[in-house]
Amino acid sequence: MNPPTADANNPLKSAIAAKRVLVCVGAGGVGKTTVSAALGVRAAMANRSALVCTIDPARRLANALGLRELGNTETRIPDSALHQAGIHPGAPLFGMMLDMKQSWDAFIEKNTPPDQREKILGNRLYQSISTRLAGSQEYIAMEKLWELRNRNDYDVLVLDTPPTAHALDFLEAPKRVLDFFDNDAARFLMTPALLAGKVGLQFLHLGGSFATKTLAKLTGVQLLQDIANLLLATRSLHDTFRERAKGVRQMLEAPESTFVLVTTPNPERLNEAIRFHQLLKESALDIAAIVVNRVQISPSAEQKAAAASAPSPTRERLLETLAEQSKVAEEDTRGIAMLQTSCAGTPLIQVPRFELDVHDIEGLSATAKYLVGERQVPSDTLS
Amino acid sequence: MSSSLTQRLFFVTGKGGVGKSTVASALALAFSQRGERTLLCELNANDRVAQLLERPPPGPDIQQLEPNLWAVDIRPAEAMREYALMILKFSAVYRTVFENRLVRHFLRLIPSLQELVMIGKIFFHLRETLPGGEPRFSRIVVDAPATGHALSFLRLPQVLLETVPPGPLAKEAEVMRKLLVDPAVSASVLVTLPEELPLQETFELAQSLEERVGLHHALTVLNSFTAPRFDDADQTQIAGNPLLEPVMGHHQQRVAQSQEALNRLRGLRAPVALVPLFFFGKFGREAVEQTARALRPWVEPSGRLESASSGGAL
Repeated sequence: MNPPTADANNPLKSAIAAKRVLVCVGAGGVGKTTVSAALGVRAAMANRSALVCTIDPARRLANALGLRELGNTETRIPDSALHQAGIHPGAPLFGMMLDMKQSWDAFIEKNTPPDQREKILGNRLYQSISTRLAGSQEYIAMEKLWELRNRNDYDVLVLDTPPTAHALDFLEAPKRVLDFFDNDAARFLMTPALLAGKVGLQFLHLGGSFATKTLAKLTGVQLLQDIANLLLATRSLHDTFRERAKGVRQMLEAPESTFVLVTTPNPERLNEAIRFHQLLKESALDIAAIVVNRVQISPSAEQKAAAASAPSPTRERLLETLAEQSKVAEEDTRGIAMLQTSCAGTPLIQVPRFELDVHDIEGLSATAKYLVGERQVPSDTLS
Repeated sequence: MSSSLTQRLFFVTGKGGVGKSTVASALALAFSQRGERTLLCELNANDRVAQLLERPPPGPDIQQLEPNLWAVDIRPAEAMREYALMILKFSAVYRTVFENRLVRHFLRLIPSLQELVMIGKIFFHLRETLPGGEPRFSRIVVDAPATGHALSFLRLPQVLLETVPPGPLAKEAEVMRKLLVDPAVSASVLVTLPEELPLQETFELAQSLEERVGLHHALTVLNSFTAPRFDDADQTQIAGNPLLEPVMGHHQQRVAQSQEALNRLRGLRAPVALVPLFFFGKFGREAVEQTARALRPWVEPSGRLESASSGGAL
């Protein structure tokens, strides 16, 4: 087993001190939002102004950060909320909750000529495409991150990414969105009409290949026309998308950016984490650390001895409880060892399972202590 | 608490990580074990339920896993193909058109077409009949996506009706929507944990499903429920012992959280099924079997419920 990381070279502590962009990734339900928020709190405590950008609509956590009424704008977390938990930041902490629809609308408004704007925003397909297209959430989250980074208002940006079903969705999001709007296929199918700029009832006859006609059987003519109209209106966006996707990519690859991979010791989640880790490595992206959240700590030998000497039936009840905890702890230890082997070279940071689930600022503060190495899960005490 | 699960189609959903797949598998298993022909559907999930049930993965074609239990992993490409073939009738046409790389690309422009054909496949199997005329599957259990995605997935027929002009797609969407909002046909099973964030999501989801989808909420499953273990005498015994107090405290904390969760969930319209916290080395068949046992009272025909008590003794 690896020795516990010494405080001085805790990888997240150095990331908070030196990096400018921290991207927290992982499956849904592993505590990504909590880790993101805790990293933001720590950055502020380390005298670096920080913005935590979350997409998690879980309100209690948002409330704890003072984010109750927020939409798509950055809001300062009131010092009073932090002081209550004994946190005294040396720099301001901000938070925001990304609203997908608003972010897309703002993006379109900023990047399209005025005469096309209304055509896009008013297209009945636009809304569902912008909010439901695979990768569109991931894309707009990174797009926002890029914009914020370029604005340079904060020392550290922490992005809590959307819970991604497949790790690939996240890394491929810019490419997918780019593909989507820069669509050779659609242009191939409809070129004559598109070029003429008169996409009307006749376009199927004009551009009407066998394929187009067959598609229309499936979708109806009107739907194909709506799509054509949207494509026509978004034509000017192709270059913007390409340029921005490149910008996002460069930002993620820059030495000032790093990824924090969050998981729990659950075998299914660990397998996903390993896949994600591999993918990030293949893409030559920097991983500061893997955070293993909600680790069960083994009961100590002293506890077992004390339980064994209690009178019956208390003894049996205590022993059963200890046996359950040991079982979970053993399983966690095994899983973490497997993770360590599969992700050799990347530091692991363990955060214990707390008595209460973390949804307030005290919980965040406790999580943060483990993240930066001020507290550590005791190394394996199994006898 | 007189309602058992009478619908034919169940969407099992909840926050990520609450045990949706286990509950979906267990529910399907429980139906099949009482002799009902049951189909367990996953949505592009890499055959997770088969892993849980410790059976060979079914893949995109329906496979029988055990007596009365079939499974399928519905994948967008295959579902698209089936749908197109149903409409176009000729596979030569399909191949010419749909296997064209550029056309495939184009299809992605149609909002949520992938999800629509996936949902369409579920409803297709719901309406399928055997030569004798009886339904091919008497129950279908869907391991649905987590909260946010589940909501947009289930709202799809409605959204399409609003965004897509009249035509073949809109017609399909209307048929699906009707079946989806019929409380005699379809229902949701919401899975949650005795933890704050999953609970909150359950309440929000229950409300959204009711108001925005119109899907009947048939059952809430409270997973990882901890029943009381230590009594007053134990507490007196242990009080003041610095080694043992945390052991008991940890357990009692979970008991208190479980009890609070149950009380809050009782505010919802649907009854609550309790599934105890399991301590298995590996989450697999054993966990699914135990969960199925806890769900059994809810899959009994109504009227037999009185004698059955749910998973946790209170």
